[in-house]
Amino acid sequence: MTALMYDRENPWEVTTRTIVYAAIGAALYAITAQFQFPLPGTANVFLRPSFALVPFFGFAFGPIVGLFVGLVGNAIADQISGWGLLTSWNWSLANGLAGLIAGLAGYWLAGGIRNRVARSAVAAAIGVVIGFLFVLTDIWLGTAEDIGVAMVDNYIPVVIGNLIVSVILVPILVAAWEPVRESIGR
Amino acid sequence: MPTVRVTPRYLGRGSWLARRDPRLLVISLALFVLAVVQVWDLRILALLGLVAYLYYRSARIPFREVRGNWAYVLFFVTFIIVVNTILTGGELRGYTDEQLHVYFRLPLLGTPISAESLTYAAAQYMRFIPMAAMGFPIAFAVAPADIGPAFARLGVPDRFAYALDLTYRFVPSLAADMRTTIDAQRVRGYDWEREGRGPVGKVKRVAPLMVPVTVNAIVGAEDTIDAMDLRAFGTGPRTWLRHLAFDATDRLVLAGFAVLLGIVTVLSQTGHTELWVPELLQRLGS
Amino acid sequence: MAASSAPLVEVDGLTFRYRRAAEPALRDLSLSIGPGEVLLVAGPSGCGKSTLIRALNGLIPHAYRGERTGTVRIDGRDTAEMKLRDISLLVGTVLQDPTRQIVGSTVEAELAFGPENLGLPRGEILERLDAVRTRAGIEQLAGRETAELSSGEQQLVAVAGILMMRPSLYVVDEPLANLDPATAARLLSMLRRLADEGSAVVIVEHRVEEALELEPDRILYLDEGRTRYLGPVAGFLRVADPAAVKLPFGAVLDRIRADPGLSLPAASDPDPPATASADPAGPRRDPARASTPRLAYDGVRVRLDGREVLRGLSTSLGAREVVAVLGPNGSGKTTMFRTAIGLVRPDAGEVSVDGQPAAGRTVAELARVFGYVFQSPSQMLFARTVREELLFGPRNLDLAGEDPDRLASDALHRVSLSAEPEIMERPPLTLSFGQQKRLALAVALALQPRTLILDEPSAGQDHRTAERFMREVAAIPGLDGIYLVTHDVDLALTHADRIILLGGGQIVADGPPSEVAADAERWAACNLRRTSLMAANLARQRPDRRFVEATALARRIVEEENRGGSVVPPGIE
Ligand SMILES: Nc1ncnc2c1ncn2[C@@H]1O[C@H](COP(=O)(O)OP(=O)(O)OP(=O)(O)O)[C@@H](O)[C@H]1O
Ligand SMILES: Nc1ncnc2c1ncn2[C@@H]1O[C@H](COP(=O)(O)OP(=O)(O)OP(=O)(O)O)[C@@H](O)[C@H]1O
Ligand SMILES: [Mg+2]
Ligand SMILES: [Mg+2]
Repeated sequence: MTALMYDRENPWEVTTRTIVYAAIGAALYAITAQFQFPLPGTANVFLRPSFALVPFFGFAFGPIVGLFVGLVGNAIADQISGWGLLTSWNWSLANGLAGLIAGLAGYWLAGGIRNRVARSAVAAAIGVVIGFLFVLTDIWLGTAEDIGVAMVDNYIPVVIGNLIVSVILVPILVAAWEPVRESIGR
Repeated sequence: MPTVRVTPRYLGRGSWLARRDPRLLVISLALFVLAVVQVWDLRILALLGLVAYLYYRSARIPFREVRGNWAYVLFFVTFIIVVNTILTGGELRGYTDEQLHVYFRLPLLGTPISAESLTYAAAQYMRFIPMAAMGFPIAFAVAPADIGPAFARLGVPDRFAYALDLTYRFVPSLAADMRTTIDAQRVRGYDWEREGRGPVGKVKRVAPLMVPVTVNAIVGAEDTIDAMDLRAFGTGPRTWLRHLAFDATDRLVLAGFAVLLGIVTVLSQTGHTELWVPELLQRLGS
Repeated sequence: MAASSAPLVEVDGLTFRYRRAAEPALRDLSLSIGPGEVLLVAGPSGCGKSTLIRALNGLIPHAYRGERTGTVRIDGRDTAEMKLRDISLLVGTVLQDPTRQIVGSTVEAELAFGPENLGLPRGEILERLDAVRTRAGIEQLAGRETAELSSGEQQLVAVAGILMMRPSLYVVDEPLANLDPATAARLLSMLRRLADEGSAVVIVEHRVEEALELEPDRILYLDEGRTRYLGPVAGFLRVADPAAVKLPFGAVLDRIRADPGLSLPAASDPDPPATASADPAGPRRDPARASTPRLAYDGVRVRLDGREVLRGLSTSLGAREVVAVLGPNGSGKTTMFRTAIGLVRPDAGEVSVDGQPAAGRTVAELARVFGYVFQSPSQMLFARTVREELLFGPRNLDLAGEDPDRLASDALHRVSLSAEPEIMERPPLTLSFGQQKRLALAVALALQPRTLILDEPSAGQDHRTAERFMREVAAIPGLDGIYLVTHDVDLALTHADRIILLGGGQIVADGPPSEVAADAERWAACNLRRTSLMAANLARQRPDRRFVEATALARRIVEEENRGGSVVPPGIE
């Protein structure tokens, strides 16, 4: 059992560690997700600072953890608020994909961007931009009329909001966690 | 980041729905959601709403306890509808501008308010609110310890089912940690509501809460990981102590929802679920 | 005891160095433990106690990487060659912090967790559940959610979860830290019974005085990873360092009698006035200046979550007092001071600070009067560097002034952290626990409060460190008074000049230590431990009626004996 994913060969390995980090991340995201505020000057762009936890957990502990934190965290957040566990299941999945892809992007970029803090910001941004494409499924589910509406109403606002919080907060989290990682671990 | 009340509340304890197999609650919600998303016809939605209402009532969740949750749902549905129908020009269900029965146009935006858009808005309410109602019992009428077994028996691999269990286990304790951290920072003159400098400043102001809670939780996880490894977690096939079995009633309910989905799907495929605009409303417009 | 039969555990020449550490955490350790034996492991913080536990339960080498030499055999088999799963059938471990060990959201889920992982049949698990619930005496907790349990109840449930595994060796890491005396006694008797029935028990505890109630067969005393002593209790009491581990007062007295010149770190100053201030500008205990109280409660009631936590609290605390608040878990101690700083607003009654109602003042304003130090320091550390961390508060309140660097270094200096190299630029979360604790103190001091409020200052620290921390706090210049909440009876009695006993949200007793402690019945009713040091102090009151720390008291008694003075009072051996 290896301490942390950077030492691991296989990003898909599931250990007790993966399970516990995933559960912690999802719980944290779920309890803080209600806190959001509109981006001034826009009507439907919300900043949800705690979203940064999703790419952070994906980046720091691997794609599986990222997927779980986004998917389960968002679903439970919806459940806590009353919106319902599965009412917006495709949005939960989009959150999960953002975490998953941020985790994978962390790997892909490992050779390219040496500075881990900078790399985390880029990985998070990639995760958000690609992962949230999944909300376009709203077209089939009937919440959005067509691709134009889905882009303008759903995809673009959520990507803008989540890009802002991720690019600001993920590096802060990584910078705080990195030195601690060195001092704990096995 | 203030937190809402997050401790799991088993409000429906002992009710008819709480006595059902927890898997049933998940599956019926899924079937119901699949049915609802196919429907725009208010009349069918009303029927589905009635089903959802009866189902919700059978969980006997005291309204007083969940007022806040319902307020949130209403607010959010309204938000979605306003954005969807008004701000984006009121395009809906394939209607062209000429087909609309317009009452008036919004100043500035020019969005037409029409018989169609009102019906559409009503349909949106009738879609989302029953879905939320069907979701409430999962939050309030499933024993917290049943979540893991329920998903495990739905085919989710043991370890991930346990991760779900563990998530619910961490929610109350991490929320308490969050409250402590909020207090500790308030003592240092921190106030998250204070005007940040622009959106960036506002997001940054979350760091004094997010960083300590997150890093502490991760550091504390070392012990949890040890405790699980030391009790042979994930080393082989797992027994779930909670025995889940569908009884006759469960099967009946499940069959009911399956039939409902079947009927709705047939109606939808044959074009009977599209937006239905009442005559009366049409006549009022032009 | 059946200790003579074939050993269950054999440790032979074990040395272990963690992957990231420069020095080994355990060096050349050999010992064997037989069925039915109880081994107490003691030693100061960082001496390798938890590392030994990890070696016994197989986490070393299976989960922790590092350099290991020597062997650990359980039931004749080398743990390095066994699977963790197989070791878990033989060794059951209770970790130090039950809130982290517990993984189930209900009591039953927690108990069933181990057997479920082993894939035992459902019927068998249910049988074990019944047996364990009775044995651990937690029948009344059936069906409860673990998050709602008190810390003592959580500890019992954590132990019960291990009982479910039916191991032959129980390994328990500092189980007494969170427990009140009644719960502690229950836990110890449960462990004792396990040993009597043939299991082996290894218990780590630096509160030796309390752990001795378990009647251990042998004690292993570790220091810096080395075995300093391994053998029966009597011999241990003769060699252990009373400053590092907390010994019964009788043992300390014997040591001083045998060697009056014994130099013990904690007693370098033979009779330190318990909370002496190094700075003449900040003396406390000055009854003459008892004008307006710093903090006054008048019929304060607080409800939280529908429960009345403070029930008509009325008292006043002077600016220059050192007050310790003691009481059972959940009696409202923390809430009492949270109202002082405005984090909780009373539902009825009034809190006033320096004669002014606190109601109209913000938390931030009150933070300039009271420096509030939370129990767990890491819960507020977030900045990139120690400097940023220190300046966060002053900047929020526009107090940073012209020379923020000076403000930061002053604060560090006052908590004796400034000698640490490069300290200003270090990430706060990488500091050791003790350093974080002091940084938290410095953070509070950076707002230049006049009174300090310390919540559980000794939590998570060993005896020596906690004592030193309190002495340093007392010596901080420029402070008027200190209010502290603690479960450590000796710490409270020796450092405070006034004790408030809280029970059920009301004041049960209030007065100088000697007076409050004298009523044994009331003391026990508040679920407080009657320590040997306390008994000794009560038996031999000093003229100023202050309680003194163990070595100082022992020294004084020995001096008097040598002068042919009063005989040792009875009841303190
Ligand atoms: N995972 C780890 N990586 C590196 N060093 C470690 C690790 N865990 C412990 N150490 C170091 O090993 C030494 C022994 O630690 P250990 O936790 O065994 O002490 P302890 O006696 O249990 O202390 P305490 O009473 O504070 O719990 C310490 O110096 C500690 O810093
Ligand atoms: N924010 C809160 N919401 C609800 N209940 C609370 C809250 N804070 C404390 N309580 C409850 O109030 C009671 C008193 O709590 P408090 O923390 O003051 O006790 P304490 O004497 O400090 O206990 P301990 O010795 O365990 O620290 C407890 O039963 C606790 O569960
Ligand atoms: Mg330890
Ligand atoms: Mg307290």
